[in-house]
Amino acid sequence: MRTRPVTRAAQYVAVLCYLVFLATPLVWLLSSSLKSPQEFASMDPSFLPQQLDFSNFSDALEEQGLVRSMLNSLQISVATTVLVLIVSLPVAYALARFRSRLRPVTNGWILISQVFPVILIVIPLFMILRPLQLTNTIPGVVIVYMVWSMPFALWMLQGYVAAVPRELEEAASVDGASRLRTIVSIVMPLLRPGLIATAMFTFISAWNEFFFALVLLQDPQLKTLPLVLARFVGAEGQVQFGPLAAASVLATVPSLIFFAFLQRRLVSGLLSGAVKG
Amino acid sequence: MYKKLVTALLAAGAAVALAACGGGSDNTSGGDGSGEKVTLKFQSLAFQKTTVAATKKIVADWNAANPDIQVEYVQGSWDSVHDQLVTQFQGGTAPDIIHDESADITGFANQGYLADLTPYLSQQTKDAVPAGVWDTVKSGDGKIVAAPTLLQSYVVFGNSALLKQAGVSATGDSLSWDQLAANAKKLTGNGKYGLGWGLKSPTATVLNLGMNFDGAFFEGSGRDAKAKIGDAELEVPKRIHAMAYTDKSIDPTSLTQSGSDVLPGFFGGKYAMVVAGNYTAQQMAEQAPKGFQWEVLPPLKGTSEKQAANPQTLSVPAEGKHIEQSAKFIDYFMQAENLAAVGQGDWLIPTTQAARDKIQQATGGKNGWTQTLAGGSELTKAPFQSVENYPKWKDQIATPALQEFLANKIDLATLGRKLNDGWGQVNS
Repeated sequence: MRTRPVTRAAQYVAVLCYLVFLATPLVWLLSSSLKSPQEFASMDPSFLPQQLDFSNFSDALEEQGLVRSMLNSLQISVATTVLVLIVSLPVAYALARFRSRLRPVTNGWILISQVFPVILIVIPLFMILRPLQLTNTIPGVVIVYMVWSMPFALWMLQGYVAAVPRELEEAASVDGASRLRTIVSIVMPLLRPGLIATAMFTFISAWNEFFFALVLLQDPQLKTLPLVLARFVGAEGQVQFGPLAAASVLATVPSLIFFAFLQRRLVSGLLSGAVKG
Repeated sequence: MYKKLVTALLAAGAAVALAACGGGSDNTSGGDGSGEKVTLKFQSLAFQKTTVAATKKIVADWNAANPDIQVEYVQGSWDSVHDQLVTQFQGGTAPDIIHDESADITGFANQGYLADLTPYLSQQTKDAVPAGVWDTVKSGDGKIVAAPTLLQSYVVFGNSALLKQAGVSATGDSLSWDQLAANAKKLTGNGKYGLGWGLKSPTATVLNLGMNFDGAFFEGSGRDAKAKIGDAELEVPKRIHAMAYTDKSIDPTSLTQSGSDVLPGFFGGKYAMVVAGNYTAQQMAEQAPKGFQWEVLPPLKGTSEKQAANPQTLSVPAEGKHIEQSAKFIDYFMQAENLAAVGQGDWLIPTTQAARDKIQQATGGKNGWTQTLAGGSELTKAPFQSVENYPKWKDQIATPALQEFLANKIDLATLGRKLNDGWGQVNS
């Protein structure tokens, strides 16, 4: 079936509008990172900088230990993501496949755990981690982020496991495959999009998290990226807009790379699932 | 392909987890004052580039001169310090030296989280700070729970060219509120306003400047305090309202903006004057267009030039292992040269006269420093600083009521009633 030229043009316009809508904040951020302090105080702010000023980037990089904080965030986010996937995958499989009285209880707990405000749990958590000497350490933060992300990751993965037809597993069983073999060879490839979506969610939660890191990490060498970004906001609402924008631009790079890497696999995973299903 | 992905994920997870396990450290060192080397964590909230550099230099100088008591600079943030300290006090891991404002640490002091520094601070430091400022950092039983370092006041900034053009000069020791209103009226016209005033969060400004007219707002202290809203307390909002809606010399839209939001209008000539915290001078120095001349007018005066003092402070946790050593560093920080360096960097007023003299000498009083420093002598403790539920009243009652009044939605009598009755609601 051929698309009429008018319809096609309308489609392109719609896609273009959507792209502009998505790209505007990023372009604005990039533009702001290149503006001088005088331009921020102008009564008629321009969308693009009048004169390029790269000092915001040097300020952000030199003064605040931005690179070190990015590496800390990356280390914590990747460790959290990998560990959450490793722990939650078998649990999600068990919850989705085996009927038990525990299932509604577990699902109820998952929902309830999302209701508590952070401030309510941070002090008890702090009291638990302190005797274990896990405050002011990266493993301590990773454990907290795992606990924080796990319920939702379980919830997501459970749905993906449930979506894999049981008949495929039964067919494999009839063909003589053991349960482990069935899971590894049949179920896991179909779960790849779910794993990747869950990884993305977990990574972004850990990458952006502020409050736990603020409370748990005191050592300047261990500060994460959100803590460093907060440094550009002063008392009484003063903000260093230029360096903040520059730091934010730099901060988006690792997550963009991570997403670009995973998104390709997400798409290929969806296709492979479609063929096999 | 899938196996490779799983293997890669597992390998990466193991590698990162192992690396993570080696990444942490708890640097709080030992030392009990018996000659053993001690490392103190000093969480500074210094924000301006200049102040961060000055603070780091103080720490470096101290470390060079005191090999047994090393101070580690830890950068904190004004935005999150309260929540961070709440948790760290509970967990017993607060930094050895805490930088915060006096209004914020009052609650911590009342709960016994802060050490009594009275026996540790030198007499020289005690004598250098006026009694009225020490009052802002004393607990109910008179113990010094922090050292006050820098003060902020509200000042009037003027566009020198527009003031000159209109023949407005303010060169005396003080600027009366009547003069301010007259100047603003004179400077209004041709689509421009005499005054831009960012009063998005009006309570602090109204209560601080209210002291110009002896506005107390509260009688008593703690939970027993009673609201006291009379003519003196309502004088500042009444005058602002009159300038905005009777004289029309304040741009009413500026009243809904934050203090720094009005700066573009000030630089663009839309307002000839703005009222803001004196630290705004730093932004003016950085952001003003080339050739733009600004000045600080003399301190505002009603029946007096008094304003509330809410100093930045340095304090020590009561459970700290090295209270004496921390207090020694605070004593060093309070030396005139050091306070002058951080004060000049932040464009704030040091709490000691010796440090103010150093700034006056270093700057020659230019860029409004003479007027800024002059305001420092009239800063003192305000009654609201001893009232336990003041933050609740401020957020839930005073701010919305003042916003309504400044938006011309309620009259002065209604404002007074809301402020008064609201105290009963939040303090019950």
